[in-house]
Amino acid sequence: MKQYYDFKIEKIKDLSSDEIDLRKKNLDLFYQTGFPNKKDEDWKFSDLNSILSKNFNNIVNDDFLTKEKNFKLIEEFEHNFILLCNGRLISSDFSHEEINKISLEDFNYKEEKNLDKKNSLNFLNHALALGGFSLEISENYKLKKPLVIYNNFSNSLKETIVNYKNSIIVNEKSELNLINYIDNSSKENFMVNIIENIKIKENSSLKNILINNSKCNGYFYKYAKSDLDKNSNFENYLISSGLKFNKLDMEINLNEEYSKSSVFSALNLVKNEHQEIKTRINHSAPNCHSYQKVKNVLNNESKGVYQGKIFVKNIAQKTDAYQLSRALILDDAAEFDAKPELEIYADDVKCSHGSTSGSIDLNSIYYLKSRGIPEKEAYQMLINGFLLEAFEKLPEGELKNFLSTKLERQINGY
Amino acid sequence: MLNIKNLEATIDNKHILKGLNLDIKSGEVHAIMGPNGSGKSTLANVLSGKTGYAIKGDIQYNGESLNELSTEERAQKGIFLAFQYPLEIPGVNTNIFLKTSLNSVRKAKGEKELETLTFLKLIKEKASELGIDEKFLSRQLNVGFSGGEKKKNEILQMKLLQPKLSILDETDSGLDIDALRIVADGVNSYKNKDNAFLIITHYQRLLDYIKPDFIHVLSKGKIIKTGNADLGAQLEKTGYSNLVK
Repeated sequence: MKQYYDFKIEKIKDLSSDEIDLRKKNLDLFYQTGFPNKKDEDWKFSDLNSILSKNFNNIVNDDFLTKEKNFKLIEEFEHNFILLCNGRLISSDFSHEEINKISLEDFNYKEEKNLDKKNSLNFLNHALALGGFSLEISENYKLKKPLVIYNNFSNSLKETIVNYKNSIIVNEKSELNLINYIDNSSKENFMVNIIENIKIKENSSLKNILINNSKCNGYFYKYAKSDLDKNSNFENYLISSGLKFNKLDMEINLNEEYSKSSVFSALNLVKNEHQEIKTRINHSAPNCHSYQKVKNVLNNESKGVYQGKIFVKNIAQKTDAYQLSRALILDDAAEFDAKPELEIYADDVKCSHGSTSGSIDLNSIYYLKSRGIPEKEAYQMLINGFLLEAFEKLPEGELKNFLSTKLERQINGY
Repeated sequence: MLNIKNLEATIDNKHILKGLNLDIKSGEVHAIMGPNGSGKSTLANVLSGKTGYAIKGDIQYNGESLNELSTEERAQKGIFLAFQYPLEIPGVNTNIFLKTSLNSVRKAKGEKELETLTFLKLIKEKASELGIDEKFLSRQLNVGFSGGEKKKNEILQMKLLQPKLSILDETDSGLDIDALRIVADGVNSYKNKDNAFLIITHYQRLLDYIKPDFIHVLSKGKIIKTGNADLGAQLEKTGYSNLVK
């Protein structure tokens, strides 16, 4: 296989010699294996090496000095925002909030310790990461409006990789609704490799939504690790259709009693799109609750993957863990792979999992058509109905309406 | 309005309709009765354009051949089938379904599509006529509805879409007496000189409420006897066995 990437630490400016050494070590580790391929159990359904080699000639890194560019604000609801361009923190607006309750800074690479070393993409991130942010919400503070993170990528990114790290801390008795919003219609191919660390402290709540607003030629990987303290709540919603490749690798640690996590996804994948959701939910304390519902609609030559692991430690009695993946396969050339795994060391737990895949019910299509609804619209209605279930636990309101509208747009074609 | 000549229908190598003839004029109510497996539901499916049947013969609807029209085109032109088993469609809100359906039909007729508020007012009115609780309209389409609620929902759709030809496929099955009366009242109040009904049923009891102009007995894919409303009562006494040899 041809070498389709060429990464250099020298391209990053203003590094101390220690930093250069550490980054070089990580880059060497990356080069030992290159991008993950299907021989790696974690990547058996998503052969990234093969996918990238087919779609890139020479991926490079760069020291992105980006100026703020125009971007379109979401108008449907009032919100705070953070603007990232190519991973760099450009600006923010918290005008709806008490400003002293929120701290936002560039991610501090000098203080970074305990690096995660899960896979070669993590090494690559440690070697090349620039930008990103650290966000901290003070205790006893509930944000009045959601926070939108606009993830913008410039057109000049062709054949380039962006690496960055984020840190999000929600302190005790606080609440944050976060919307990661990707809006990029670039036809150029580019890669994004993110590491995110999330801490949700006692009695706090974080809603974490990922939504993609336009078709783009981006290849995304995110490794997100979250730690939940007592009685905290972490909800994830993934509506990221339209990206060429996306793998979300989530580790959710239910570290203390009565913490709760959920993952919902609604993906409608079309030609040559490939998305994987990989979760590892660690139940490390009693009385914790985890819920996962992954829904995929797979059109021509698309691929969806779900690898969900639930790990229950021996002390984690009264665990309640649930996972379900359902796929609608609309074309013979489409594929869905699911690998549920349960590893349970406690004896008083409730764990269940299920996975189904099938085609669309033609009798339902006939029923809708018999009411004058054109065939294409009938399909869209059924697909929409199938995916909308992912929002069943979201309260009614403008945020849910917004997500439903975006989902409908993804289904009906941008 | 509807002229069926020598209609034959085959599915999965089973020859079900074997030369059926039927003429329905505006303002008429026709009932089709007949033993199980005689082809009653097949006739309903074929008229609504369900795919999978190999068809011979001709169906003319208001002077136009139906054979080439898709299910949705037939619906847009005023053919309505109330299903024997209405489908449950998870995730699809009943109101949104009804609005999409009505607006699809209106659009095809060149009429202006209804705005949400106008639609909601209209549907509320129609629902209350049939004693349908508004709450049903915000639920997922037919999901968790009882048999009777599903059938009432079919009649609601009929009254909303205002078809020319309504085919009711065993709409009376699974209905208690009260629901049967509501459904029959719904049909009777919609009946006029410009539309027509084809009512498929096993039993006389629906025909006690909706008086047909003609009753046809379907057996082995053909109409073997046609009579007036009295034929139903007669069949109730004697059964089909005397007719079916």
